[in-house]
Amino acid sequence: MFHCPVPLAWKNLTHNRRRLAVALLGIGFAVLLMFMETGFENALYDSAVKLIDDLDADVLVVHRAHYSLLARQTFGKKRLDQIRACPGVQGAYPLYIETRRSEWQLADGPDAPPQYPGYPIRTLAYHLGDPVFRARGIEDYHAELGQPDTALADVKCKAKYHIPGELSQTAATLSGRPIRLVGRFELGTDFANEGNLVMSTENFARYFPDRALGADPLDAVDLAVVQLDEGTDVDEVLDYLNGNPDSGRPRALPDDVVAFTKEQFLETETAFWRTATPIGFIFSLGTIIGFVVGVIICYQIIFADVADHVAEFATLKAMGYRNRYFVGFVLQEALLLSLLSFLPGLAISAAFYHVLARQTGLLLVLNFQRIMLVLLLTIFMCVGSGCLAMRKVLSADPAELF
Amino acid sequence: MPDNTTPSADQPSTEPAIRIGGLQHSFGEGELRKQVLFDNELEVARGEIVIMTGPSGSGKTTLLTLIGTLRTVQAGSLNVLGCELRGASARRLIDLRRQIGFIFQAHNLFESLSAYQNVKMAMELVGVAPSEMKPRATEMLSRVGLEHRIHYKPAELSGGQKQRVAISRGLIHRPRLILADEPTAALDEKSGRDVVTLFQELATREQVTVLMVTHDNRILDVADRIVNMVDGRIKSNVLVKESAKICEFIKGCSVFTQLTPRTLTQVADQMVPEKVAAGSVIIRQGEPGDKFYLIRHGEVDVIVEKDGTDQTVASLGEGDFFGEAALLTGEPRNATIRAKTDASLYWLGNEVFQTVMRTSASFEEELRKSLFERQ
Repeated sequence: MFHCPVPLAWKNLTHNRRRLAVALLGIGFAVLLMFMETGFENALYDSAVKLIDDLDADVLVVHRAHYSLLARQTFGKKRLDQIRACPGVQGAYPLYIETRRSEWQLADGPDAPPQYPGYPIRTLAYHLGDPVFRARGIEDYHAELGQPDTALADVKCKAKYHIPGELSQTAATLSGRPIRLVGRFELGTDFANEGNLVMSTENFARYFPDRALGADPLDAVDLAVVQLDEGTDVDEVLDYLNGNPDSGRPRALPDDVVAFTKEQFLETETAFWRTATPIGFIFSLGTIIGFVVGVIICYQIIFADVADHVAEFATLKAMGYRNRYFVGFVLQEALLLSLLSFLPGLAISAAFYHVLARQTGLLLVLNFQRIMLVLLLTIFMCVGSGCLAMRKVLSADPAELF
Repeated sequence: MPDNTTPSADQPSTEPAIRIGGLQHSFGEGELRKQVLFDNELEVARGEIVIMTGPSGSGKTTLLTLIGTLRTVQAGSLNVLGCELRGASARRLIDLRRQIGFIFQAHNLFESLSAYQNVKMAMELVGVAPSEMKPRATEMLSRVGLEHRIHYKPAELSGGQKQRVAISRGLIHRPRLILADEPTAALDEKSGRDVVTLFQELATREQVTVLMVTHDNRILDVADRIVNMVDGRIKSNVLVKESAKICEFIKGCSVFTQLTPRTLTQVADQMVPEKVAAGSVIIRQGEPGDKFYLIRHGEVDVIVEKDGTDQTVASLGEGDFFGEAALLTGEPRNATIRAKTDASLYWLGNEVFQTVMRTSASFEEELRKSLFERQ
């Protein structure tokens, strides 16, 4: 017969159903709080790099002084040819991004002069036919985008842009020049950008002719999207483009540009938002508050359970149970509490994520890594409070029983 | 887990279960220090049932917790089941605890566990084979009349039933020593009787020693020894059966028939046991007399020295007494007494003897009479 010791921790926890329910609600709430805080934090990071993530790129090349997508550092078109010269590179495509000169202004009619305040909007441009976006669908509009003064609007543009449901009724100007919306694509908003447009480079050059002072506006490239031949080692290519002081390989590119893998680029971009802005701090603080709330609730539960049974624990000590057993007991209770409350907490959080993502357009994503993070925090939280309550059970004195 | 239930079985059973020597105990520190136990001596044999009585605050529970290894021995010596507790390591104490069955006044059962699970927790500790747990627990709970309540939780049991589960938990691991605090207080007369009968069976069959604090008069009759404590001192320590035997001996003698049972018991209570080896001299002719002796076992010779030669004038055996003449007359011993065989004796000090004499005129009178008859 398989020997299973009396599961005292489980029995004690589940004995008082109402207390357990309240405990699970309380700790579940702390779990929810942590999920929401980490969720918002990650949503902000994710949305900041959504554009990069959407690019169909193996390698990205930017200006050396480009510290973030916020930066407006551009490089010359001929760098693209230099990239293309690298062995293993299948193609290098320019992406133009304009935010400063790009102003969206509503008008009363297609030909009426603008009367309303303008709002900055991010305009992206690429050579129609270049496979820069991962998402399919944009190429369906290539014919329309080929026409002058046309663009696609991001479906997630904020309401203040008043992008009409029926796009043909668009009455707005971009940088003072009437614009016609011919379709929609999906990108999303972030801290800095509340709306996006996509257009052809030809139109881009028309809207922003003074982008490069005294030069072709298309000579100021923001980002080079580089695709490699199948089976090419991406590190080889980076070494070739950036040079590698370790192997003594010289730089193939001039000093003003730097190449990154897509992952590196995403990482540096996220790191920028995390370290250069208070976002990371604020949401970490929120997570810590959730954690502390959880510790307090969990401590209360374990402490109450121990305090209500001091005489019983003292009896166990008199019988010869060692302190080891009581440490194990408290840790088991803590672990059980964390696991039992994590699951409903996760379920409610998933529902909240879904609703909030729809409502706010924020990129609230639950992935394995983030679930594991909150699970670990929850376990740590419960075990930590268990350790706080441990003193009570260890101080139970069997000599006071007689 | 090693089987800790019967390690003491290998040890010679002649060794006492509990030996207390010069045991003192104080609570508090510095000026608040209060001594609660003073120089206590006690020896309890294996298989003995001891009932401790005394007013509250007399130190009997403190003594119980000290014996149960639940408090640290501060001064004196305390030997439990062959292990000296003073300065013993924590590990040793815990091993010892597993050979002790504790029964507390409160049942202290886990509400969340069934009667069986509560009892099982005591079995798990000493490594009872899993296959043996169920039958053993069923048997034990049946013994206390709970065979139909095995899977009930404490909330579904009456106060008495809960106490009986707690008693089962205290006995299930076959302890060598049972320490019980008012074990029958919550029980009706019949259950109380069943429990003490169980104690008696364990004591006779398995040489389990039982130490009980109780004020329950109904169960006093099971005691082999009654220890009465007052103000931190053991005031009296009476081996009940021996006491009864001594009373019988004294009473069997025609000279004591006049004594009331109360005086008889008092005399018996005050007698001190002593073992003597064959051939040793117990009292010597010509020495001042200070003790009155009763022979419990064995034989002694009465030797009178006359004209430089020793003459054995008589032989005394079980139930006989000697040494009273010197105490009554104040003269030196009129004969030498030598143990013929190994013998166990009881003696009564002169002071106590005289007190008894004074309280019972007839006793003295009868003694004088008997002396007269003997000459």
